[in-house]
Amino acid sequence: MKDINHAPASTPGWLNKVPEVTLSFWFIKIMSTTVGETGADFLAVNAGLGQGVTRGVMGTLLAIALFTQLRTRRYTPWTYWLTVVLVSVVGTQITDLLTDGLGVSLYVSSCVFAVALAVIFAVWHRVEGTLSIREISTRRRELFYWAAILCTFALGTAAGDLATEALGLGFTPGAASFGALIALTYVAWRMGGNTVLTFWIGYILTRPFGAALGDMLTQAKTYGGLGMGAMWTSAIFLTVIVLLVGVAQIGAGSGSNARATE
Amino acid sequence: MSYFRSPVPSVAAVSAVALILAAGCSKPADMRPADAAPAPPSAQTSTTAQAKTVSKLGDLSAFRSIAADVTAIVDKGDLPAAKTRIKDLEVAWDSAEAGLKPRAANDWHALDKAIDHALQVLRAATPSQTNCKTAMSELLKTFDSLRAVN
Repeated sequence: MKDINHAPASTPGWLNKVPEVTLSFWFIKIMSTTVGETGADFLAVNAGLGQGVTRGVMGTLLAIALFTQLRTRRYTPWTYWLTVVLVSVVGTQITDLLTDGLGVSLYVSSCVFAVALAVIFAVWHRVEGTLSIREISTRRRELFYWAAILCTFALGTAAGDLATEALGLGFTPGAASFGALIALTYVAWRMGGNTVLTFWIGYILTRPFGAALGDMLTQAKTYGGLGMGAMWTSAIFLTVIVLLVGVAQIGAGSGSNARATE
Repeated sequence: MSYFRSPVPSVAAVSAVALILAAGCSKPADMRPADAAPAPPSAQTSTTAQAKTVSKLGDLSAFRSIAADVTAIVDKGDLPAAKTRIKDLEVAWDSAEAGLKPRAANDWHALDKAIDHALQVLRAATPSQTNCKTAMSELLKTFDSLRAVN
């Protein structure tokens, strides 16, 4: 909580660009993971675009979304969450490309992403003197923030796949294990653990947790899933995301109006 | 707006716990097919071992039958039709990944690679009958080798 005393030299006219970390934040984040993965899969396989074209499409969409997000002056729910969904897709694709395309072992990619994430945090802390996730109010800080997020998605994918492959962890025990780890992280935070550290640990863990949860819903009953199929699961999750983001967007709109009329 | 320490994360934890419980409840269902599948058929049917023995990945007959179908079409020389049909295998295989892979990751990768190769040769700009035939027979062999191991 010491971070709060740091008075950041914000970019003129910039307010905090990221949302409060609330229940709805984690809900949207976890569901984005599932939707991102099934969405990219749908384009690559069912729509028949193939992995290469899908990567190009998603990379371009991410560039546009990130550009829009970087140009906004304050937290704008729909831009922020659109960027998260696309970062989730691209982070997953990076890991898949390394694993399936280039034959890089998941042990290696997990280590590389963990080190890359550590480096991002080290540089971030060195340059900014804080890792606060509540005061993303300069261009440079925002770039650190998104770089870290991209890296956590790639790391979460690699580490989650590693658990599946090395431990033979199916999605049901997977969801239970990652869920338990998330609960532990939460308890650590409640007991006075570092806010920033526990946030990022939660951010990494919710990637494989979201994937396992999505698998539980989509996989056929023969495999122990609920057999809802990818389309229905995505449709339901997407609806909930749009509702939650819509509520946040309306709230943000009325908040800024109230401020403007003061 | 942003200076309060939100009480909401506690709700997040509660829901996380709820999700874990939900996950725990469906566990028996998850164990069933994996455990039940490799059990040898008790009586007379074991003579048709070829059809009844299952791999560590479980019952792959649905996937193998599409592959056999594609092979038959390739043998007839209708490569465009084979290309269309093999997409059914791709979609079915891809959507079952999360269910199958944890059972035997190595076996899954062996099959995945063989399927990828078959897709690749059938989708070549100018597919060759010989390449497609070889790839499909390799794929069927991979299916059968996984079954034989058990």
